[in-house]
Amino acid sequence: MTRTDNSTCNAWRRCLEHLRHALGVCILGVALWQAPAENAKGAVDDPPDRPMFSLDGFGTLGVVHSSEDNAEFTGSGLMPTGAGYGHSWSAAVGSLIAAQVTANVTSKLSAVLQVVSEQNYDDTYTPHLEWANVKYQFTPDFDVRVGRTALPIFMLTDTRLISYASPWVRLPVELYDLVPVTSNDGVDASYRMPVGAGTNTVQFTAGGSDTRFPEADGSGTIHARGLRTLADTLEEGFATVRVTYGRAHVTIAEFDPLFDEFRQFGPQGAAIADRYEVDSRVVNFLGVGASYDPGKWFVMSELGHFNSHSLPGDDTGWYVSGGPRLGRFTLFATYAARKVESNRSDPGLTVTGLPPSLAIAATEFNAVLNTELASIAVERTISTGVRWDFAKDIDFKFQIDHTRNGAGSPGTLEDLQPGFKPGGTVNLLNASLDFVFD
Amino acid sequence: MSNAANAAGVARPIKGLARRAAITGLGLALAFADRTSIADVVAVVSSKSAITALSKSQIEDIFFGRVAHLPGGLQPVPLDQAEGSLARDEFYTKVAGKSPAQMKAYWSRIIFTGRGQPPKEVTSDTDLRKRVAKDPTAIGYIDASLVNESVRVVF
Repeated sequence: MTRTDNSTCNAWRRCLEHLRHALGVCILGVALWQAPAENAKGAVDDPPDRPMFSLDGFGTLGVVHSSEDNAEFTGSGLMPTGAGYGHSWSAAVGSLIAAQVTANVTSKLSAVLQVVSEQNYDDTYTPHLEWANVKYQFTPDFDVRVGRTALPIFMLTDTRLISYASPWVRLPVELYDLVPVTSNDGVDASYRMPVGAGTNTVQFTAGGSDTRFPEADGSGTIHARGLRTLADTLEEGFATVRVTYGRAHVTIAEFDPLFDEFRQFGPQGAAIADRYEVDSRVVNFLGVGASYDPGKWFVMSELGHFNSHSLPGDDTGWYVSGGPRLGRFTLFATYAARKVESNRSDPGLTVTGLPPSLAIAATEFNAVLNTELASIAVERTISTGVRWDFAKDIDFKFQIDHTRNGAGSPGTLEDLQPGFKPGGTVNLLNASLDFVFD
Repeated sequence: MSNAANAAGVARPIKGLARRAAITGLGLALAFADRTSIADVVAVVSSKSAITALSKSQIEDIFFGRVAHLPGGLQPVPLDQAEGSLARDEFYTKVAGKSPAQMKAYWSRIIFTGRGQPPKEVTSDTDLRKRVAKDPTAIGYIDASLVNESVRVVF
């Protein structure tokens, strides 16, 4: 895999450079539009006005050190570089900056545009559109959004980039890296109703999306079509419970050449291709989560199940986390695990009886298939850390992760080098500064 | 070096570091913890408002941007005091047990998912009292000592 050697400063500099461009455009837009809104502000006695446009942003400057030199910890299957092989300290994992413009056109009509600069699949920091949608608030309890929104996959999926909103350095990868598709281009409707002393919110999403991921020679795309999710969130006092179900037809064409080869081997090869090929395959996931946060302490747990009915397998991720808040400090500990229910090896094509030249090819294809199956993540991680809200709108976090990969599995590590031994342990040291601004 | 040996070699300094970090963290936490509160903050509406009293959870719903379904279909519009003001910090501690940073984190989740905007802000206790007094749909909070006949304490 080709990788640009990327120093810590380099990553931050590129991130900031791109953001300056994006922000420049946003600020210009806001300046142009806010001027009349400011002038329209009346005498002191009038109620305070909501400006038509508002600009907000958030970001994270983070560094990660990995004890594993022969693989990279990227924190996401969608990012090409991380800590470990090539650079034992990395600023690429988790560092990002984002700007958002919210337009309150009328009391019912609003629009959101959010631009994020972070490490992309192709190792650039070109800002991308994370959110771009128009919302119509039919009633105070019912709204519909059209455009790009985040998928309500797990409890924190739609705020996964806003590290300031979370106690941890990153969301547990055991769960949050399970479903790589996080955005939806389509329609999203949300309805809330009182239930006892609490509120119940039902959110329905329909659409599709294309998600790029880094590959050995270039990149691949996860095409999700016919994407449907239904999320139900119950909030009462300090407690929140959420259940989500989603399904889509997913195609990853990058695997096709391998399965085309299998199909050359008659019915047995075709059966293998049919089983693992990711071609308009029905993929579904289920998420269940609960949190309790009375302020002085918090506890939170989630479980997610993902079934690809194909090569990526049938996987379950979960975590439990909690800790006390002491003044400006939040201490926390997390246990997270990922396991796989589907097979992690396959006998493949029967080689005996094949002519020698075909036997060599069949052995090779079997090996490629088994390498893919063996790379499915199985791991468990114990994390502990502290968040320090040392100043207004900015926090500092320090976190240690100790991960044990399942027997024969590389866990969520990427870019495995010849010296890498699956099934080992990895320690990560993480530090980050998170901020929000307006 | 084998993976296990490698990991053990790294784990030792990490354990030491963690212990030191925990001790430092705890010390600092104790130093900053629990600013003594002196103000008594109360939620107020206009004396012309139909609302006479609200529960803690109704107040929380109103100020957290969740729709509070009040008897009679009333929808009070919340007003916040300035960020960093004692009244604001006290109010959210009293209503939800949340610190200013936790409230900022909460609103970050709402704003950056396009789910809403925080309450509008006023500049002072007296400014708030004046606005609430004039507007029967408004709700705010002020220091209890500043309550007069123009506003009604509802929580």
